[in-house]
Amino acid sequence: METNYLLSSKFKRIGLIILIPSLILGLYTLFTDWEPAFFDANVLGIFIEDLSGNNQFIGMVENNILNEILGILVILGGIMVAFSKEKDEDELIAKIRLESLVWAMYLNYGILLLAFLLLYDFSFYWAMVFNMYTMLFFFIIRFNIKIWRLRKAVSYEEQY
Amino acid sequence: MKNSIKVQRAIQNMTQAQLAEKAKVSRQTINAMELGKYVPSTVLSLRLSVIFKISVNELFELEKQDWVK
Repeated sequence: METNYLLSSKFKRIGLIILIPSLILGLYTLFTDWEPAFFDANVLGIFIEDLSGNNQFIGMVENNILNEILGILVILGGIMVAFSKEKDEDELIAKIRLESLVWAMYLNYGILLLAFLLLYDFSFYWAMVFNMYTMLFFFIIRFNIKIWRLRKAVSYEEQY
Repeated sequence: MKNSIKVQRAIQNMTQAQLAEKAKVSRQTINAMELGKYVPSTVLSLRLSVIFKISVNELFELEKQDWVK
């Protein structure tokens, strides 16, 4: 059956090439607060609230844009990996895809619910930062494990 | 739901891979249907009925639990 909401299968490889380095670098900058001066820039902001509590609507903000760039690359790469067609995409794979998506959503919100109850202040902030990305990763991991198991089961099966 | 895909395939002397190619699905899907782990769409059921030259009702059979709400 023809699906029009998935990317062509060649995007899976491109997605991996974007995702893996930006994920590694992204985690590194997150844990080490690495902000090289090269990425300091004045950027456009829509709602700006500075540390002293002054609010401004539309203006320029000084910001290190490395984490923004990496965040965008992780999401774009992740979407390519998650939603590129399998080479043998068919209705069974579509069903596994849907199940994995629901499962990833349950797990992601389950973790966020726990974070609401158990984490406060900055700990909660960190949980939220990760929660933005984990849904994609939960989906990718669960979907690929299921597909891998399916293919393995068939390769054991004899031809007749 | 029960199906006789494996039997029909044997009658027509077809491998899973050959049937998969004719039915335009992957071999995994043929295997999962034969094991009763996957219920095919109406389109795929009709394709199988054309390939085996039998009616859909001969290929698939409802079971008691298919009537449970």
